[in-house]
Amino acid sequence: MWLKICVFLTVAFMASEISAQQATINYRCRCLCPNTDSNDTKAKQYTGIDVLPNQCDCDNVVLPQMNLTGEKAQGYCLRCDCKYENRNTTIIYVVVIIVMWIISLLVVYMLFLICLDPLLNKRVQNNYTEHTNEEEMPGGSEGVSHAMGVRSNVLNRVGHQQDKWKRQVREQRRNIYDHHTMLN
Amino acid sequence: MVEHILVAFNFQCLFCLPVSSDTDEIPGIGQYEDFHTIDWQRDIARDRMRHRYIVKRKQNSLFDLVKGAHDAWSGWVCVLLVGLATGVVAGVIDIGASWMSDLKHGICPQAFWFNREQCCWSNNESTVSLDLGNCSQWLTWSEVLGQSREGAGAYIIAYLMYIAWALLFASLAAALVRMFAPYACGSGIPEIKTILSGFIIRGYLGKWTLIIKSVGIMLSVSAGLSLGKEGPMVHIACCIGNILSYLFPKYGRNEAKKREILSAAAAAGVSVAFGAPIGGVLFSLEEVSYYFPLKTLWRSFFCALVAAFVLRSINPFGNEHSVLFYVEYNNPWIFFELVPFVGLGIIGGVIAAIFIRANLYWCKYRKTSKLGQYPVTEVLVVTAVTAVLAYPNPYTRMSTSELIYLLFRKCGVTNLDDLCDYNRNFTDVKSAIDLASAGPKVYRAMWLLVLALIFKLVMTIFTFGIKVPCGLFIPSLCLGAIVGRIVGIGMEQLAFNYPTIWMFGGECSTGKDCITPGLYAMVGAAAVLGGVTRMTVSLVVVMFELTGGVRYIVPLMAAAMASKWVGDALGSHGVYDAHINLNGYPFLDSKEEFAHTSLAADVMQPKRNETLSVLTQDSMTVEDVEVLMKETEHNGFPVIVSRESQYLVGFVLRRDLNLALVQARRTLEGLRPNSLVLFVNSNVQQQPQPDSPPPLSLKNILDMAPITITDQTPMETVVDMFRKLGLRQTLVTHNGRLLGVITKKDVLRYVKQMDNEDPNSVLFN
Repeated sequence: MWLKICVFLTVAFMASEISAQQATINYRCRCLCPNTDSNDTKAKQYTGIDVLPNQCDCDNVVLPQMNLTGEKAQGYCLRCDCKYENRNTTIIYVVVIIVMWIISLLVVYMLFLICLDPLLNKRVQNNYTEHTNEEEMPGGSEGVSHAMGVRSNVLNRVGHQQDKWKRQVREQRRNIYDHHTMLN
Repeated sequence: MVEHILVAFNFQCLFCLPVSSDTDEIPGIGQYEDFHTIDWQRDIARDRMRHRYIVKRKQNSLFDLVKGAHDAWSGWVCVLLVGLATGVVAGVIDIGASWMSDLKHGICPQAFWFNREQCCWSNNESTVSLDLGNCSQWLTWSEVLGQSREGAGAYIIAYLMYIAWALLFASLAAALVRMFAPYACGSGIPEIKTILSGFIIRGYLGKWTLIIKSVGIMLSVSAGLSLGKEGPMVHIACCIGNILSYLFPKYGRNEAKKREILSAAAAAGVSVAFGAPIGGVLFSLEEVSYYFPLKTLWRSFFCALVAAFVLRSINPFGNEHSVLFYVEYNNPWIFFELVPFVGLGIIGGVIAAIFIRANLYWCKYRKTSKLGQYPVTEVLVVTAVTAVLAYPNPYTRMSTSELIYLLFRKCGVTNLDDLCDYNRNFTDVKSAIDLASAGPKVYRAMWLLVLALIFKLVMTIFTFGIKVPCGLFIPSLCLGAIVGRIVGIGMEQLAFNYPTIWMFGGECSTGKDCITPGLYAMVGAAAVLGGVTRMTVSLVVVMFELTGGVRYIVPLMAAAMASKWVGDALGSHGVYDAHINLNGYPFLDSKEEFAHTSLAADVMQPKRNETLSVLTQDSMTVEDVEVLMKETEHNGFPVIVSRESQYLVGFVLRRDLNLALVQARRTLEGLRPNSLVLFVNSNVQQQPQPDSPPPLSLKNILDMAPITITDQTPMETVVDMFRKLGLRQTLVTHNGRLLGVITKKDVLRYVKQMDNEDPNSVLFN
């Protein structure tokens, strides 16, 4: 939970910081026009970044960059295709940062589970009694909690939840990777 | 129809279940164990009792009135939340996947979080090309490593970086799935179908599955594998629906009611996947849902609307639409064109049948052979092969969505791509776009597209089913779009070369642009997708919401229908049903008819020479019950008057019996092994002897209105009852005496046996 809040704070802070930078243009008018050079059939594109949506046309975007005039300009403009587009750079930034955070957290946790957890668990194994079905039986976990003492109760419960989750994942893995009973 | 029957039964059942409010319920009653089917009748009756209780208490106080109001609107609030969350998650996935996909090619040094398109947002350089980065702000990996943008060295570096990133993404996806949530692999739609038909798979719609599926689908799409994120979106939406339904006990604690929310969530999933809200609702109705009353239809509609709205306001692709390949058409089509459209439908059906056969064969091989023991290795090998083969061909190098967009698009005056390299004359600017002969680059593009078609078909066969999240919609749309575009260009050139022949009816003789190859691509895409999934109505609606053109409904319908017929003729099942069969999920398909003349007595348990395990209503002790439960593995026991008379009283579930005994042992004073277990009202009994222990009354867990049939009922009727009422078991009687039980498992096994399949393959507890 704390980790999540930290992530959000970092993201919010950095988002406000970058908003001053140049990569924050959210609107554009992009025109695609045919190439007048007969050797190159690829289209030409023109982008206007400071035009209003109702001014997004060839006259306002392409012609100032083309220095064509009169009849020829009119004809050229008939062939141009202009589209006004917008985006939200802040959303993109926040989303990409969140995705990177989630992936790296998952990878770190995965490495922890692979490398460190077996070592830690080996120590605990002795004073940890295996009990099954505790999700069905309310109060089934009482014995263990009492034995561990009240002080480490919260930690214990977290560890307990984690064990339950791990058992579930192991079960899923057995269904899918070993027995091939599901999701083939 | 189904819901009417259900309603009728609920009225019957109203008075039979004495379990009324939340207060006197034993905790855990009404829940099910993993891999069990739910009892729709019982759950809906439970909800009705709960509702009556709330309505009755409404007059008591203001608080109860508020509680009643909250109960009334909680369904709408729940689907609203599901819609909001689905839209946000879909936006995150869309943005994340497009960013990571472009990471394979290069990076935007000014703002690393931009993909190529966003990086070149304000770029004003004039030449455009699709295969290279089209602006100087975007650096390809060869440039980052100090090479030039073009040339052999740059090509090799780009090639190697492409493979390396693909392998990195794919291995991450496979490792995360294996480590945290193995249920996140695959498309999820077969499982969702099974779950909605009333099956319990614990953890399949949980938090971890949601997280890993979302992250995993971004990674596997970015790895360039031949798969799409649209199918998993349905699974993701259902996970969200399941998690949020726990906020409302009305839905969270009642499996049958929860499935109403899940149906709405599935609609929202397709709605965000294709930006097609109505298509999503119809998809939920046609393809995934089992029980779909009108109330659920309206909620699905609302949920899909909210989700589409949220995604649209996030605007992940910067094109004001929720999908990358949105195109807008308004060209008319000629009547004769229906012939090639139907032809495309036939080709689509054939391709779909080939795909389903081959994929099923490969999945079966994976299931039974040693290959299944190396899931991560398999992912890596498939990724490596895909990346190595995909890079040289520009059409497979780009992401599949981009390719579909390219194929759907109409060639305008400005051509960005080889596909639009027509010999058009731009000197006369006043004229409309003409028919024109295809330039050499169009033919080259067509060869590349044929190669891409073969490549995609083969790779998708091997990809669908590997242990990463992977969907099927996008690859099948892509296969169809390639075929369609090729046919479309052929038709166009025919019209150009012979504009006056009868079939064009004079429409093309004026030389104007009368054939649209992009439309053929659209129709072909619909045909293959229709053949693979056997959707019809929802598919056409999704496709027409993608184009925004009502006038193409008839071509799309023709193609979808033709492809469904061809598919049905060549292979009997759609890919989802085939996978349900392969995995042996307990899904009673309402599409199929039961065509055997057997009777209930043939299917019923116990068989001859076996005894039926029963409870008696007032003569068994706690010890007897415990022994019976220890010795048998049945999930429920019929209760009869006495062993001599065998008259039926009711039915009690093993799980409920277990919970009630545990509860009684904790709370009831003086319970001894020789206490009597009573399933009748205790005041009917004669006074117990003073020295005997107090009896244990378990009347409140007894279902006193079990569905019964006689032993001469034809199996056809029995199967129909199981399908339409969502039964879990039915009791078989003869002359009013209990004879045996038929469970859903027995029915499924019997159906399998009749179809000459292994009856033990049904996944069931």
